[in-house]
Amino acid sequence: MKNKKHLSAPYLFLFPGFVFLTLWLIYPMFKALQISFYDWNFLATIKNTFIGFDNYIRAFKDTIFLLSLKNTIVYAIVTVSGQLILGLSVALAIDRITCGKIFFRTAYYLPVVTSWVVCSLLFKFLFNASPAGLVNYALIDILHIIENGIPWLNEAGTAFLALFTLGIWKGVGWTMVIFLAALQSISKEVLEAAQIDGANEWQIIWYVIIPMLLPTIFLVIVMLTIGAFQTYIPINLITNGGPVHRTEVLLSYMYDQAFKNWDFGYASALSYILIIIVFSISQIQIKLSNQIEK
Amino acid sequence: MNQPIKTIGKKMFLYFLLLIGLFFTVTPFLYMLSTSLKENIFVFEFPPKFIPSNPTLQNYLTVLTTRQFDRYFMNSVFVTLLTTFSVVLMSSMMAFAFSRFTFKRKKLLSGLIRLFMMMPSMTLIVPQFILTSKMNLLNNLWGVIMVYIAQNLSLSVFLLTGFFKQIPVEIEEAAKIDGASPWQVFARIILPLSTPALATSAIFTSLGAWDEYVWAMTILNKPEMRTLPVGIASFHGQFVTDWGLVFAASVIAITPIIILFIFFQKYFVKGITAGSVKG
Amino acid sequence: MMKKPFMILTICSIFFSLVISGCTQAKTGEETAQVETIAEKSPAEEVITLSFWHTYSENSPENDTLVNTLIPIFEEEHPNIKVETLIVPWEDFRSKLYTSIAGGVAPDLARIDIIWVPEFAEMGALVALDENIEDFQTIADQVFSGPLSTNAWNGHYYGLPLDTNTKAWFYNKAMYEAADILPPTSFDEMLEQCEAIKAVYPDSYYFATDGTFAWVTLPWIWSFGGSITDDAITTATGYLNGPGTVAAYESLLQLYNNGCIAPVILGSGIDVFTGYAQDNYASLDNGPWTFSIIESQFPDKEVSVSAFPAGPGGSINVVGGEDVVLFEKSKNKEAALEFMRFLLSEEYQLKMAEVGQIPVLKDAVNSDYMQNHPYYTVFLEQLTTSKSRTSHPKWEQMDQIITDAGQLILRGEKSVQEALDEAAAEIDILLQE
Repeated sequence: MKNKKHLSAPYLFLFPGFVFLTLWLIYPMFKALQISFYDWNFLATIKNTFIGFDNYIRAFKDTIFLLSLKNTIVYAIVTVSGQLILGLSVALAIDRITCGKIFFRTAYYLPVVTSWVVCSLLFKFLFNASPAGLVNYALIDILHIIENGIPWLNEAGTAFLALFTLGIWKGVGWTMVIFLAALQSISKEVLEAAQIDGANEWQIIWYVIIPMLLPTIFLVIVMLTIGAFQTYIPINLITNGGPVHRTEVLLSYMYDQAFKNWDFGYASALSYILIIIVFSISQIQIKLSNQIEK
Repeated sequence: MNQPIKTIGKKMFLYFLLLIGLFFTVTPFLYMLSTSLKENIFVFEFPPKFIPSNPTLQNYLTVLTTRQFDRYFMNSVFVTLLTTFSVVLMSSMMAFAFSRFTFKRKKLLSGLIRLFMMMPSMTLIVPQFILTSKMNLLNNLWGVIMVYIAQNLSLSVFLLTGFFKQIPVEIEEAAKIDGASPWQVFARIILPLSTPALATSAIFTSLGAWDEYVWAMTILNKPEMRTLPVGIASFHGQFVTDWGLVFAASVIAITPIIILFIFFQKYFVKGITAGSVKG
Repeated sequence: MMKKPFMILTICSIFFSLVISGCTQAKTGEETAQVETIAEKSPAEEVITLSFWHTYSENSPENDTLVNTLIPIFEEEHPNIKVETLIVPWEDFRSKLYTSIAGGVAPDLARIDIIWVPEFAEMGALVALDENIEDFQTIADQVFSGPLSTNAWNGHYYGLPLDTNTKAWFYNKAMYEAADILPPTSFDEMLEQCEAIKAVYPDSYYFATDGTFAWVTLPWIWSFGGSITDDAITTATGYLNGPGTVAAYESLLQLYNNGCIAPVILGSGIDVFTGYAQDNYASLDNGPWTFSIIESQFPDKEVSVSAFPAGPGGSINVVGGEDVVLFEKSKNKEAALEFMRFLLSEEYQLKMAEVGQIPVLKDAVNSDYMQNHPYYTVFLEQLTTSKSRTSHPKWEQMDQIITDAGQLILRGEKSVQEALDEAAAEIDILLQE
């Protein structure tokens, strides 16, 4: 009797949480997969037809989907690199100063805790086409780089510049915090030994610190990349995928297919493609990080 | 003799760099604050001014009195509190199970948790929408809460499991010998010892629920039901965009979070770094 | 020892009760409301509550008139009917309607954009009024045929017109006078007038509009003798890429390339109303709401309007407006139809005319108020030639194709003929599905 009760204890503790997860995560995961194989009609009036892999095939012939995939990849590469380099640099700098550490750490982290909605609207405002938009004003009247206001959001290229800036600006603080913690764990003796050996600052950073940070760097890259693939709110609020669908990313295109065109089947297929991509990235991370540790 | 100057020079350079970075980081916020104090005609005046020439609190008044903003705020508070409470409670229970027991399928279940953590939440929006509609929870804050709980549960379980594992088992041994049930061990020993970790979990869940936009926007119809992020996005309207108003609302929305962050920093930091820094 | 599983079960049951109470809350919400209203009245009378959705903004004069003046009148005349309105923001309206219909929680009535009627009718969501109101023909005869026709789909009428509007040529009087020009009567004058404006206002633009969607380009297309599809709506090839439409877009492109059209047509820039008020823009093609918008934001700016200029095909603008529809799943159809009759009464139509809603009722339009109105007359005149957008369930997607084509043309990425050829082919596919 006693044994039975104690065996059942963990299950009882797990029960409520797993009920939630089953209902709202596991079931949707399977349902989404099912829907992706159908021409699905949300309204009960029209029947759903099974169409096999048609939605997936359609995705790879869909020029806008392919464009959104390319955009997402470029966005990931640029923003992850930016956050990584700037975050690491800021962390290194803060690690070396004596007073004001907490002040700087707090200030740099502010964008991270601010909601994406507020930040997106803010950057839409900053990159306004008028010469009085702050970015234009800075470029024209302060830095004298350009003559006329740039209509940032009218062209995909310049719109992406705005989106990249937002993406990097928002995440530097997060990366910084992670690296600050990692830097703490580097043993002082190793650093002192390098200094005694005559290495200068840059050599220490490049040949000692960074190699020791590699696991963290790796983890940061993976997490930032997975995050970048899930970007949606800035595109939705700043460009709405325009002009002419040129700033679409995976999730913005998926969402419009679902809730503008009511094509749930196609949207689910697109979702699953993203899920597969994200899982592949994390699998690569696990495999490679195991290798690095050897 | 050169060394001290070199070190001071280096330090000054570092401060200089950090200050430049700080400038770029903080200026958008300051400009947002400044714009929230301007009337619409001054928002795009040329040259743009950081300190408004005719500062006014009218935007804040409008937001707080005529636009149902207080409703949005209360809705967000309601949703965030319920989500956070549920997540902390259920995830701590699950973490307790994962950290203190060995049982069949443990690896499978904890693997599932890790799987869910990696799942991009927006990809499940279609089936979640269908499910919510079938349960008649569309346009209902409970529909919002259900999905928020699911979205935040796994991360919290992961965080708390890591923390619980660090609590030495000896502490419970004494209680177990005295015949305490697992629930008593959980409630009377583990939970009180884990307040920092619980706080971290609570803070991260609150942040997630407070700022979430996509799900709330998708299922909430009536304006009275809106949460803050949806409300702010809707201020950014069709015709004339009233930036002053939008930013007044934004400032009000982000101030609690920023205050929370400044005072509870270490929990934020702990939460992020937990599990991400090895050794 | 018995406590442990008990505690856990208690917690679980608390959670489940929370969940279940949340689930049933939505369901019982409506029922309790109805039960309460019934309990309030004497047992002999059953009070019916109608739900009516619309997109008037909360503090607008339209909403104020509707809720504080007109609905009380109706409720007094029909003591057993209460009307509850719900404001839904315009951007979300179409998707909210869709999800509500699918979720079984659609309202009794709604004031919807005329262009959505075929889409929702096709879904089976709307009641065919011609079969369900005995006096349908009587009401139909009292309204203008144009607005009425927007309710037609597949041989039936799925709604009744509620208000109508069209666009006309707004001109910035100060700028026109400084440039010594008068409102254009034909498209031929535009290029010259643009030069005249630029001579006095080098940084401003002759014309501004906020995109290349059909609502914007159709007046050009029609006024040049073009169209999107044939009358039977079976094909776009030969029409969307026909000579008339091509000429229309060539004209637009020429003006754009000469710096006559503001960059906001490409997606962002100073919005049309602010630009007009601040003398950045000299002309707009917009609707009667322009008066109230500019008045509320820029009370000192004088607003002037004249007829839309004529092209080779005439001066033809787009009919807009809203229809009122009755939803199939409504449980209060009789009461709803009563309210519909009220919405089409002269009293309602004239009161809403005072807050910018042009009536659809012939008598109301012929009233002194309308005929002597400071600016409605221009729009009423324009309405006599205005045409309606393509009545088809796939209209929203057709509009997207047209919008994209216009963008490609103005950005110089495709020639007019090429862009229109491709757009026509895409629309053909849509029409054949």
